[in-house]
Amino acid sequence: MKNVVALLIAAPGGLRRTEAEVLSAGRRLADGLGGTLAAVILGAAETSWDGDAAAYGADRVVRVEHAGLAEYQTEMMVEAARRACAALQAEVCLAPSSTYGLEMAPVLAQKLGAAVVTDVIAASGEAGQVKITKPVYGGKANSELIARKAPLVLVMRARSVAVLERKAGAAAETSKLDVQLDAGLAKSRIVERKQEASAGARLEDARIIISGGRGLGGPDGFKLLVELAGLLGGTVGASRAACDQGWVPASWQIGQTGKKVAPDLYLAVGISGASQHLVGISGAKHIVAVNKDEKAPIFETSEAGVVEDYRTMIPALIEAVKKHRAAQGK
Amino acid sequence: MHLVVCLKQIMDPELPPGDFRVDAQKKEAVRGSANLVISVFDENALEVALQLRDAAGGGKITALCVGPESAVDALRKAISMRADEAIRIREEEFPALDAYGTARLLAAALRKLEPADLVFCGREAGDWHGAIVGGLLAGELQRPFVSLMAGAQRAGDLFVLRRQTDEGWETVECAGPAVISVTNDDANQPRIPKVKDNMMAFRRQIPAWGAAELGINAAEINGPNAALEFASLGIPKSERQCQVIGGESVEEKAARLAQKLADLHVL
Repeated sequence: MKNVVALLIAAPGGLRRTEAEVLSAGRRLADGLGGTLAAVILGAAETSWDGDAAAYGADRVVRVEHAGLAEYQTEMMVEAARRACAALQAEVCLAPSSTYGLEMAPVLAQKLGAAVVTDVIAASGEAGQVKITKPVYGGKANSELIARKAPLVLVMRARSVAVLERKAGAAAETSKLDVQLDAGLAKSRIVERKQEASAGARLEDARIIISGGRGLGGPDGFKLLVELAGLLGGTVGASRAACDQGWVPASWQIGQTGKKVAPDLYLAVGISGASQHLVGISGAKHIVAVNKDEKAPIFETSEAGVVEDYRTMIPALIEAVKKHRAAQGK
Repeated sequence: MHLVVCLKQIMDPELPPGDFRVDAQKKEAVRGSANLVISVFDENALEVALQLRDAAGGGKITALCVGPESAVDALRKAISMRADEAIRIREEEFPALDAYGTARLLAAALRKLEPADLVFCGREAGDWHGAIVGGLLAGELQRPFVSLMAGAQRAGDLFVLRRQTDEGWETVECAGPAVISVTNDDANQPRIPKVKDNMMAFRRQIPAWGAAELGINAAEINGPNAALEFASLGIPKSERQCQVIGGESVEEKAARLAQKLADLHVL
């Protein structure tokens, strides 16, 4: 296995972290296998994507452009990807860890006759085989898989890939692959898109997340978290327990059944630390917990913790942060 | 309108991490005292199907499960939630089934049933988190696949689906028959069965289909995923050491925590 392909789905604007992650994972795999990495851009992305793909490690960039790829449409994208994989003799194909990448992966694999694994947190190549680590049982265990046969389709877990340092000025051979796609392939159509309303940055992009769980006891507790988040420039998230109770919208949910986040600071307030929640925060740089139960499992995952009732702790922390800032002259 | 919901029975994922053990030899979780339940997103999928049927004022829902004898309980739960029919596919006849094999068994069962307008799967199983059987099933059936749906409505010949995306929400129109995967949402919280429906389901005989009924050769059922070597299954060790921030008063703890946040460069 030497031919590694990173699939990129065109989106408005410049290349984003999602694409940088696919390219970085692909570059590492190609290096381990002694192979090459081709970036396949599906749809008409801005021209800056070519250079960016090279900067994140692509040896070559293949653009697949067709009127039918102007908007994401599953069957059209899969067919375009299948043709590109065939033309490049792809042996390992990485799909982006986005809604669309996850949707395409099994359908594409089925057409390629490929083994397919999603939610991968580590993939390394060595001596013609790919070693895959995939968490299972809601993050309570890790499975190790070894792929010896091509083709293989992989989807990395969002935010689990450390993005490579951008090599400015790196060049890649860029080409176009003409595909004829029958418009009749398309069996579904996106008729409306709605951006999610969230306070502060999107959870997935937030540098600071203040998150609340069952321990908050009701929706009012979240008001304190919103105030603290406003002060720190953060976004408020929640555990499944809090969302299931209807205290906050489902879109705030972090975990296996919600969003996967990778902030610099994850402050878990009144969150016990169920493994399904921890799955969503495994990419966080620093986890700090506030919980009145000293036995809460969240402390095992946190680098610092305070055993205290949030009702007194959070207002005190808000004051302490203000004082700290005042002392720093900020 | 015929709606088919594919269910998986799994070990209760709510089992606390402290009670969770794996058998490293067999490479599977030790069940211990854990309950067997319908995988979480599969129940959401069933709920979406129930709402769709009830809104249409009629139609039939068939629950399908590839599983061992114990999976009858999962199917009875589906019946108690008011699925109309339930069929178990005898997993014991197909050892070491891979995701392709599971999809092929479901496809074979679907071909035997009256044609389905929509086939539902959960977005991923709550034990292995594969998130691939739905897509593979769509491929086997040569039907479109639409993933991560929170809800579904019918509008004439079309199904109008509400999709949760990275950015927010999408409305997707799709002509049936199609395979859709369902994610959890406020609007599809699984209903609690009524007591009388539990009693009714308890008495229900659940038919089981095997290789003979499905016209399948068990030796040829698996696909490319069977070629992956399952090298190991283990519980990851947490290497973080938690620094407990203490103090005489809440104010003192708060001041120390603020300092800690400053040390972490997040203040």
